[in-house]
Order: sequence, then structure tokens, then C-alpha cells
Amino acid sequence: MNRRKFIGQASCAAIGSITSMNTLYNLMASNRLAMDSSAPPNDYKALVCILLAGGNDSFNMLMPKGNAEYDEYALTRSNLAIPQEDIIALSGTNNGRSLGLHPSMTDAAAMYEAGDLAFVANTGTLVEPIMNNIEYGQKQRPIGLFSHSDQIEQWQTSVPDKRQAVGWGGRMADLLNATNSTSGISMNISLSGRNVFQSGNNVLEYSISNRGNGASGIEQIGTGDAGILNRLRNTAVDSLMSDIYGNVFKETFANLSTKTIASQKIFEAAMEQTGTFPTIFSDEDPTLSRNLRMMARVISSAQALNQNRQIFFTTFGGWDHHDELLNNQQYMLGVVSRAINQFYQALELAQPGLKNKVTLFTVSDFGRTLTSNGNGTDHAWGGNMIVAGGAVKGKEVYGTYPELNLTNDLVVSRRGNLIPTTATDQVFAEIAKWFGVSDTNLNDYVLPNFSRFDQTPLGFLL
Amino acid sequence: MNRTTLLFLSFLSFYYSVGHAQNGPLVIGAGQFSDVEVTSSSQSNNTQDDNTVQANGFLPNLTATSRFLGQATLGANYQTIVSVADKGEEQWLDEQFAMMPAFTLEQYVKDLTALAADSILTRGGDVSRIEPQLRYWHFGWWQYVMTTQDLLRSRVALALSEIFVISELPQLRDVPLALANYYDMLMRNSFGNFRDLLEDVTFHPAMGVYLTHMNNPKANPAINQFPDENYAREIMQLFSIGLYELNPDGSRKLDGDNNPIATYDNETIQEFAKIFTGMTWGDNFVFGRNATREQSYTTPMQMFNFWHESGPKTLLNGTVVPDRNPVDGLADVNDALDNLFNHPNVGPFIGRLLIQRLVKSNPSPEYIARVTAAFNDNGQGVRGDMKAFIKAILLDPEARTCPNEDDAFGGMLREPMVRYTHAARAFDAASEEGTYRNRMDDFYNLTFQRPLGSPSVFNFFQSNYQPIGAVEENGLVAPEFQITNSVSIMGYGNELHDWVMRDYDVMQLSSVFNGEQLTTYHRVNLDLAYLIELGEQGKVDELIERLDLILTHGQMTPKTKSLIKNALVDIPEHRADYRGRMAIFLTMISPDYLIIR
Repeated sequence: MNRRKFIGQASCAAIGSITSMNTLYNLMASNRLAMDSSAPPNDYKALVCILLAGGNDSFNMLMPKGNAEYDEYALTRSNLAIPQEDIIALSGTNNGRSLGLHPSMTDAAAMYEAGDLAFVANTGTLVEPIMNNIEYGQKQRPIGLFSHSDQIEQWQTSVPDKRQAVGWGGRMADLLNATNSTSGISMNISLSGRNVFQSGNNVLEYSISNRGNGASGIEQIGTGDAGILNRLRNTAVDSLMSDIYGNVFKETFANLSTKTIASQKIFEAAMEQTGTFPTIFSDEDPTLSRNLRMMARVISSAQALNQNRQIFFTTFGGWDHHDELLNNQQYMLGVVSRAINQFYQALELAQPGLKNKVTLFTVSDFGRTLTSNGNGTDHAWGGNMIVAGGAVKGKEVYGTYPELNLTNDLVVSRRGNLIPTTATDQVFAEIAKWFGVSDTNLNDYVLPNFSRFDQTPLGFLL
Repeated sequence: MNRTTLLFLSFLSFYYSVGHAQNGPLVIGAGQFSDVEVTSSSQSNNTQDDNTVQANGFLPNLTATSRFLGQATLGANYQTIVSVADKGEEQWLDEQFAMMPAFTLEQYVKDLTALAADSILTRGGDVSRIEPQLRYWHFGWWQYVMTTQDLLRSRVALALSEIFVISELPQLRDVPLALANYYDMLMRNSFGNFRDLLEDVTFHPAMGVYLTHMNNPKANPAINQFPDENYAREIMQLFSIGLYELNPDGSRKLDGDNNPIATYDNETIQEFAKIFTGMTWGDNFVFGRNATREQSYTTPMQMFNFWHESGPKTLLNGTVVPDRNPVDGLADVNDALDNLFNHPNVGPFIGRLLIQRLVKSNPSPEYIARVTAAFNDNGQGVRGDMKAFIKAILLDPEARTCPNEDDAFGGMLREPMVRYTHAARAFDAASEEGTYRNRMDDFYNLTFQRPLGSPSVFNFFQSNYQPIGAVEENGLVAPEFQITNSVSIMGYGNELHDWVMRDYDVMQLSSVFNGEQLTTYHRVNLDLAYLIELGEQGKVDELIERLDLILTHGQMTPKTKSLIKNALVDIPEHRADYRGRMAIFLTMISPDYLIIR
């Protein structure tokens, strides 16, 4: 596909209509990607991506617990250090270090000890491996390092040397959506609207809400003669949206509307077929829990939806803690920990063993500076992420948890910005393979930069 | 469909528009502004124009004026369109520029708070517990949009609120007075100078809290503590110059290897972070404290030099702020704001963003260059004159020339908030009481938009967002599509259904204080009587033409008209009252309406 660079190429008069109409028509013909020749999988699997938007200070989520390493942490983080006695100790060691979890994350700690949750330490966006702060000056760095808009996008694309709106979840769906070809609904289902992660070259997310059945239809006219009025309206709406327009924006809107109307009917029917869902969630729960509740319901409806692969996405925002870091994280990390635990409990209630088929992971813009700016921290780079589910080999911290002093050679600024020691590609490759992406497609399509990194699996899924 | 068909459709579209002008009332006036060529969807060189040309030789083109007002206001009714067509766009702009803000949203929020207190007092309750509520700010916003003649300012301020973003989320929702006062500041600066706008944004306590340069102390390396980099980064990335060096036409400058040139790096951010230290509440005697009261959010931040980083700071383009002794934080901030304001990127960077809010998603380089020139010099040697900037954006030939149907890349998706205000203003939404108590919660949940309600400093959508498909394939952007998905498409349709198909309130009414009884006196309905009457009389063509003028600005295609007409003529005679409603509903969900071109 030919991707031209953006910048105002389209003045009213400058571009001839014939060219543009041809382009439109080519697109309407819809170019399907060559599929994996192997037979589509017939088992069920789902992925859940939680975006902690704003940049979680994850060195206060997963931090040292052992004495020597804690002292180093406390010295660097000064007034932002969590008291050693409050940190929840985690089994095992990483890089010879005893680690612990934020005090608000008791549920996550329990899942960790039960073997259903793990962490990948100091992960981040990398174009190629950068071993230390000397190589930092020599090698290619991600575009817009330390900036929200670029880094939040790159965590979703895993292509940090380009600006693009196609995410690796979308690219997986480009390959795998064929396995759901009878569904009529995108296998990428979002509780937080449009997002880069789920946008592929041919697949877009289907957005639902956490209310009711997730997707409400167009309201009926409820007056006398409602039958004919509704019929006339619906016919006109369908005609307006299926018409061909000579303007790309009209055409795009019309296509989206047509898909929305068709998908909604299928989706609602499937959700009603599944009926009520045994749940340990409550209507009073925070949005993240209610979003995960809806995901659990949709997972239970996968059969009715004719889907054996589903990718879910939700955003939990507000992590840009330049200020009031300690108070905010105390609440927000607790929300994350509790919601993930509720989610897996609900899956097991719905169908014992279902948790083994659903893998959840968190992403975030970046880790934050190890040093304080008063009572918050600033944008940095490497951070720690959560992976969870029955398929995850829990009770382990994968990757390499770094030294948290400011003199180690991973530090690229006096503020304590750490070079990631594990690339997002390495983590996502392992998830993608588990999900059923072949090695060929992985390197050629889903994660085009993966071949630049160590191919040894981290081991949290495989 | 081939080229010939398209031309034929354009001709039909033109024919319909002219046909309408003949049906409209006789309008005599100065016509359009003189120095810019104006054409409508009807190309004005057709002989049929002769029929409508007035004595002064100008064509009072209602569809062109409607289209102009679709860009320059949050919605106009028929009378406004006629009146502006009469006086001409440039004169109307000048009159709008001369207006003062009609009232402040801060005062409106306070008045409602007083009303609530009064109600508690008269019932013997505890007045000390009365605080401004988040909904008061939304009530005030709607009151301003619906009742004042300050139409241009209302539109521009909303656009600025999507560039200089603060949000009720996550925490400012607790201090609605801050949101109201910040918005007042944007309205005040809408027709001022960009340098003042940048300064007022920088010193506003709501911004200080939102981007955390409030109570940002100088470095204390002994305990590994350094200045907060948040505001330093975003004022450059989002509020002034952007990420890359730009040419005046908005294209990126390239280095010897054909790569774009970054405007700043992390070192620059750390230098600017030093600038934005030492600022705290304007009404506090001590640095580092929390706000003492909600009113604190309405006083610009002050500088405490003791907490300001001393020493020289290296800004952009080699400018160095001197090592001032004694430390003078305000002088440092002034130098830094001057440094940003005078950067050649501001015109093309902010110009493109404003064009995207008001006119179209993908302006041509020539259009951006003309707007940049107006920013750089208003004709009297003044840089940053917002009036000249806005005028250049709205009166540019590329904004004013009405597109043909085969203009494949023109226009933009109307954002949900603007569809909402457009419906309310076009159809004179009103209550007997004269108030607009709209808390907007449902609309916000369904469409993800309400004023100052963005999820992050990156607005509801990003200026370079490319939906997958034809838009991206053609190298275009379409920011508003970032919040266009199955939830918001259906959500908007159902909101519209409530406003138009049912006699539901067009606003989500809410009381000012507990125990206040809302009655029909408070209800806000659209005035659809004239349109319903047209439908009942079977004047279906006239009905559709009217909607094409008011809602789609003469851009409704013949095909859309015929699809709507088919639906209307089959409505049984005894339900003829539904023709008008159905026509509005179908028009406002049609791609011809949703894409304003």
C-alpha cells in the first residue's frame, strides 16, 4: 500500500477529481491481505490490552523490597519512596534482587503468588537495542522520546521509528480476522473507542460501551403508525449511508455508519442469546472494572458471535503524575489490581478454565523519571508492565530489573530516565505467538522490527 | 459513476441552490466583501443569476452566507443568515470583533451558587456547605452560546479551548469556577493578541494545576529533585511551535538528509522547565500551599523569586536568558514567552490548528501561508493580532469558495458539540424561563464531547489523526474521526432522535439546588413549528430546500434530497406532522450534513 506523507496535498483545486475517484474506488474494492496458508485455529483465545494512559510511574508499582536494593531506591526517589515496610514482598528474585509490590495491590500480589500474574521489568520502545548511555548517543532512538503523543502511539504500534496509525493488535487482526469471517463483527472490540492498537490496515475496532448490552440500536419511533414511520426512516438511513459519495470524508462517515448499524444488530442478538452473566462486579465499581465486566460478558458470548479470536482494549487514563504522585497512585493502582482480579474470577465463574484462554497485559506511555520534581515525576522511558492470565507463567518477574541509582550506565539524564532493557517487540512477540501468529507473519507483518532484538523468548507465556 | 456524471450532479446541485435563492425573501444590501471572490455551490457566472442580482449588482447569496456562518459560528438560524447576507461577511466580522463579552461565565456560576445558597438559607439550612457545582459551568456555557449575539467569539473560544486544553478530568471538575474563569480568559483573548493569550494561559491557575507548573520549585540536587518538565514540554509541543521546524506554508523544513528538523530536544525542555519555577496561587502568601478557596482559581499565579531557578537558561534559536541578579522570575517567563511567540513556527502551527477547527481538515500550503502572513503582520506591523488571524482564516478564498461535489478532499467532519449547538441555534431552542440548564452528561457519555471535557491535553482528537482507509490512503487527516465510532455514531443518532423525533427536551435539564422543582417553565424545546407546518401542507420540496439552506448550507446533493423526499412523501397523511421531524432527522444524520465543506 502506498502511504504518502501528510501535509496539505489536497487543496480544493489542486487535485483532479479523476485521480481521487479512482483512489476511492480502489479502496472500495477493499484489498484483503494475503492470509496465512495454514488452517485457521479453531480453539478460543482472547487478548486484553489495558492502556494506562499518561505514563504510569511503574518504579513505584514494582520496586525493591530487599534491604540493599531498597536503600538505593529510597535514595534516588527521595520523598517519593514508599516505606519499605509497606511494600508487599513478592516471591523469587530478579537479577539477584528481592522485589515487592505497591501496598494497594494486594489482589495482584495474590494472583502473582497463585501463578496467574507476572511482570516484565524495564520494558520500553526501542528501534534497535541500546545497551548503555554511550550507545544512546550513537544508535537510532524512538521518534519523540519522552513525549506523550509519540510514546503512547509507539506502545500500540511497536514501530517506534515511524509515526503511523496502524497498531500491532490491528495487524494481528488483519491476519486472524479470517478465522471469524462468519461473525460480521470486528474481532477487535474496544471499550474506549477508537485507538491505535486495534487499528489494522483492513480491520477497525468495534466500539461498545459498558452499559446495557454494550451496543444500543437506533431508537424506535414510538408513536401511532410507528411501524411505517420506523420503516421509512430506517430505509432512508440505510440508503443515505450506502450511497456513494465523491468526498473521502463523506464516504468514510457513510461506511462507518453502515458498519455500525449492521454490527449492532449482530452484537445485540449475540449478547441476548448469552443472557445474564454471573459476576462478582458491581455497578458501583470504577469504570475500569465495569469495562472488564463487559469484556468478560463478550468473551462468554464469543460462540454466539462466531468468534474464536478476540482482542479487547480499554484505556484507564490519568497517570501523568507530575504532581500528587503518591496519593493518586495509592488509589489508581488499587483500581487496576482489583479490576484484573475481578475479571479473572468472573471468567472462571462463567466457565472453569476460561482464564487459561485469556491473556491480559498493561501498556503505558513510558516509565517516569526516578527523581522527583517536588511531589511528582516527569516523562522517562523504560517501565514495568503486568501480564496476567492462566496461560501466564506467574510468580516471576521477567526481563531485567535495573539498578535504581543514577550512576548506572542505563541512565540517560540526571533526572533518572532509564534505557529499556527489554523492547516492546520482545514482549509482544511472545503474546502474538501464543495468540496464533506464525513466525513468518510475525516478522514480516505484525512486528516488523522484532528481528533486530534477541529472539530468545522471555518465557512468560511459552 | 464517471466524471461526466459528477459534473452533471454538480450542475443539479447548482440548479437547486439558485432555485432556492429565487424562493427566498428579497434581500437588498451591500452584498459580500469586495476583495475576495465569492462563489457558492452555485457558480455565479450562470445566466440564471441575473434573476436574483439586486440593484447594487451583488448577489445576496444565502447559501454562501449560511456556509460562512457554519464556519464562523456555533449555529445560525434563518433570520441570522438573511441578516448577515444583507450586511456582508466582512462587515459582520468587524461588528463581531467590536463586541465586548456579554457576561462572564464566572459570574454566572457565582450567581447560581448564590441562588442555591438563598434557597438553603430560606429553609434554615447550612449555607457554608454550598459550593459551585460542575453543572453550573455547563449551564453558563449554554446560556452564553444561546442568548448572546457574540457569535464569532463563541465559536473561536471553543476552538481555542481545543488547542489550549485544560479539562474537567481528572480533577478540575471539582472546581467549576476554575473552568468558567479559564473559558472567560479564552473568550477575552479571542480577539486580542496571541502573545497576551499565551501569557494568560501560562499564568492561569487552572492551567498551573492541570499541567502542574503551579508550586513548581527550583532544583534541589542534594535530594535528586528537579523542576517539573510538564508545562515546559506542552507549551512548545501544543501551544506554540510544535515538534518540527516549519516553513510559512506549514510544510516541514528538511535537513541535508531530507529529514525533518526537531524544534527542541530534552535539554531544551529542561531549560524551559527552569523558567516555569516559582509560580504559585495569586492569593497566597506562601509558596507550595494548596488553594485556600475556589476563588483562588480565578487569580493569575504570582512569582516567588526565592523558589525560581537562578542562573542562565538557554532557550530556542540560541537565545539565552541572562543570569539575573537578583533573581527575577517574571522577567525570565517574559523572555521565554517572547522567545516562543517570535518563533516563525507559531503562524503556520497555530494557523493550521485554527483552520482545522473552523474550516477544513486539510488546508493547502498556500492557504496556510496566507494565514501565516496575517499572523506575522496584521498590515500595521503587529504580530499575533487575533482579529487579522481569524479574518485571514475565514475570508481566505479557500474557505470562501464553495466546493463542487467532485471536491474529494475538502471539508471536515463536524464535531459533535458543534452539531448540538447548531441544532439548538438553528431551531431557536428556548425555554419560557429563558435559561439553558443543560448538564450534558448523556451527550458527553454518548459522543465523548463537552466543553473543557477532553480526556487529556491532546484534546478530544489529535490534529494529525488519520482514520484507516481512503483518508489515510490519500495522505489526509481527519481529526474528528478519532471520536467517531460505533458508540458515538449511534449515540449521536439517538440524541438527535430525542431532540427532533420526540418532543423531548433538547437539553438535559437539571436543577440548581436540591428540592428545586423543574417545570414546563424550564423545558427547552426546538421551535419546529414552521417546518412541521410545511410538512403538513405537503410542501416537501420547500421543506427540504429550507433545511438545505440552514443545515447543509446548499451542499445537499440531489441524491440525498431525493432519498429524504422518498421517505417524506410516503408518510401517511394523518401523520403528516412527522414529515418535518423526519426531514430534520434525516438531514442531520446525512453525510452531506456531517461533513461541512
